[in-house]
Amino acid sequence: MDDLPLTPKPLPGPAPAETPVDAGAQALAEALRSSFVIIKLVMLVLVAVFLASGFFTVGAQQQAIILRFGRPVAQGQQALLGPGLHWSFPYPIDEPVIVSISGLQQVQSSVGWYATTREDEMAGTEPKIPFGTPINPVVDGYALSADANIVHVRATLTYHISDPIQYIFEFANASNAVQNALDNSLLYAASRFKIDDLLARDILGFKDAVQRRVTELIDKRQLGVTVEECVVRSKPPRQLQEDFEKVIGAELHRSKVIADARGYEIQTTNAAGAEASSRVKFAESERARFVDDVSSRAKQFEELLPKYNLNPSLFAQQRLAETLGRVMTNVQDKIFLPERPQELRLLLNRPPAKPMTEANQ
Amino acid sequence: MKRNLFTLSVGLLLFLIFGLLLFVFQVRKSEVAVVTTFGKPTRPIAEPGPYFKWPWPIQKVYKFDQRIQNFEDRLTEGLTKDHFTLLTSVYVGWKIADPAAFFPKFAGSLNPIAYAESKLDERLGNLKSAIVSKHALSEFVTTSENSTGFLAIEREMLEASQAQIATNNWGLEVKFLGIKKLQLPEGVSKTVFDRMQAERKVLADASTYEGEKEAAKIHSEADRNAAVMLSEAESQATQIRAEGEAKAAKSLAIFEQNPVLANFFFQLDALKDALKDHATLIFDANTSPFGLLHGLSTNLLNGLSANPPKK
Repeated sequence: MDDLPLTPKPLPGPAPAETPVDAGAQALAEALRSSFVIIKLVMLVLVAVFLASGFFTVGAQQQAIILRFGRPVAQGQQALLGPGLHWSFPYPIDEPVIVSISGLQQVQSSVGWYATTREDEMAGTEPKIPFGTPINPVVDGYALSADANIVHVRATLTYHISDPIQYIFEFANASNAVQNALDNSLLYAASRFKIDDLLARDILGFKDAVQRRVTELIDKRQLGVTVEECVVRSKPPRQLQEDFEKVIGAELHRSKVIADARGYEIQTTNAAGAEASSRVKFAESERARFVDDVSSRAKQFEELLPKYNLNPSLFAQQRLAETLGRVMTNVQDKIFLPERPQELRLLLNRPPAKPMTEANQ
Repeated sequence: MKRNLFTLSVGLLLFLIFGLLLFVFQVRKSEVAVVTTFGKPTRPIAEPGPYFKWPWPIQKVYKFDQRIQNFEDRLTEGLTKDHFTLLTSVYVGWKIADPAAFFPKFAGSLNPIAYAESKLDERLGNLKSAIVSKHALSEFVTTSENSTGFLAIEREMLEASQAQIATNNWGLEVKFLGIKKLQLPEGVSKTVFDRMQAERKVLADASTYEGEKEAAKIHSEADRNAAVMLSEAESQATQIRAEGEAKAAKSLAIFEQNPVLANFFFQLDALKDALKDHATLIFDANTSPFGLLHGLSTNLLNGLSANPPKK
């Protein structure tokens, strides 16, 4: 720019050589000179504008990829430019492509679930559908289970973009392609599971089947994404909700009845065990007592035998009298009949005589 | 001179830029292009890069998205081999494979992609019902994966559509195909619900019955176990007692020295035990030693065999 004021320098040279009278020629020269300046200025501005057109901004949630002659300048994650001001060569050399693919992406399956609103679902105010209402396949989605039953299934897939070049430049709508793969996987997995397995018995197996299939499809089609998580929900048709609840109720009842029976089993076995061990213990103590008893009697017998042998009759009488005396003190009621009575009436009110049977032996 | 050089280079640069803008165009990785000369397609371009063209109105560049498009066809009815009506919808991943073949068919339309998809839709409808009719419903839904299952049917549809598209020579290529919807007509759904309801009832009844059966089994098992435990304990107890008696029998030899005396002792003990407590004793004057009360016999010591007292 410094040069600009100097450009007219060569002109003042010839000017004095010409006749000062020719004012027209001088004006023409002036005009030419200034338009020359303007043209140069315009040229510079144009170049500047051209170069400046290479600036572009990337928004907060966005990223950009620069294409040089149609091909990305780098591969994989390195090709991505973060938010801020960037510069590339202007078209047709470079071309920036701005995309919004940062962070985790999420898609939800678009088939397999009945028509509902998020609000109704969150609030639990979905209308009840009475039994006998047919299901319109255009309005309400569902899947067919392996036993040809109607079941509602839904999957939410969380993924991140591992290969942005593939994701953006190979698929017109890659998230849509992911969703299609998810829908297909859901349908396929449902077709392999019986309704009860899918709803209750093997929920995890069903979820795994969906995730395995969708991951396989994504890899096979090179969608450039990596699956983070797959959440699957399933539900019986609303028309049959009560019937399904009844089955669950019956199953709960079954568990309860069995649990009660197990409780009874434990109780009975424990009681029997206690009773058995007490019987054995009792028998053991009885044995000990009996053996002790007999052996002590034997000992006593041995001691008394010599005394008896001295005078058997006297010994016997003495023992008998002694015993009777002791017995009499223990007896509660003693009734003496001095003469033979005509009739005897007794009011007996005795407590249960438990030791009698054993003692009588 | 230096100044002129600068001016010249700026001028040249500008010339170059204008030249580039006029004569060069870029085909992106995601695009294919067709160059027409005076309206006639002369050069298809399938690879990304910079390309030369004569400026308008001599040559014109048409660019098409060559990425894989997602297309979902209409829900169409088909009759399975076992006469079930099945509604199917598939999604197709397709792309422009040959811009030279694609251009004459579809470039005239306002939206070539949508137009191509409508053509695909027409073909897919027939193709699907033809394939559905070759399979039974049980092949679409089954727990076992076999050569005629869900995946095999998908593959069959894919191959058929690829063959169809190749025959039509539209410059399209079907990359993948999957079943997106598999449903029954509205009328049939009611029959299915009836069947499902009956199944539920059977299941509920079975659960109840099984529960009671199982519980009864557990009950009787428990009772049986308890009885076994008690009888085992009983036999053990009997054995223990028998051991005791066997042990006691050793002492019997001692009593044999004088059985009469032993018997007398046993009787005395029995009497003591019998009259231990709460006994009521009725006796008359004949009973020893109460004969004393009567002032009767002084010859008491004659008989050993006094009458045993009554309870």
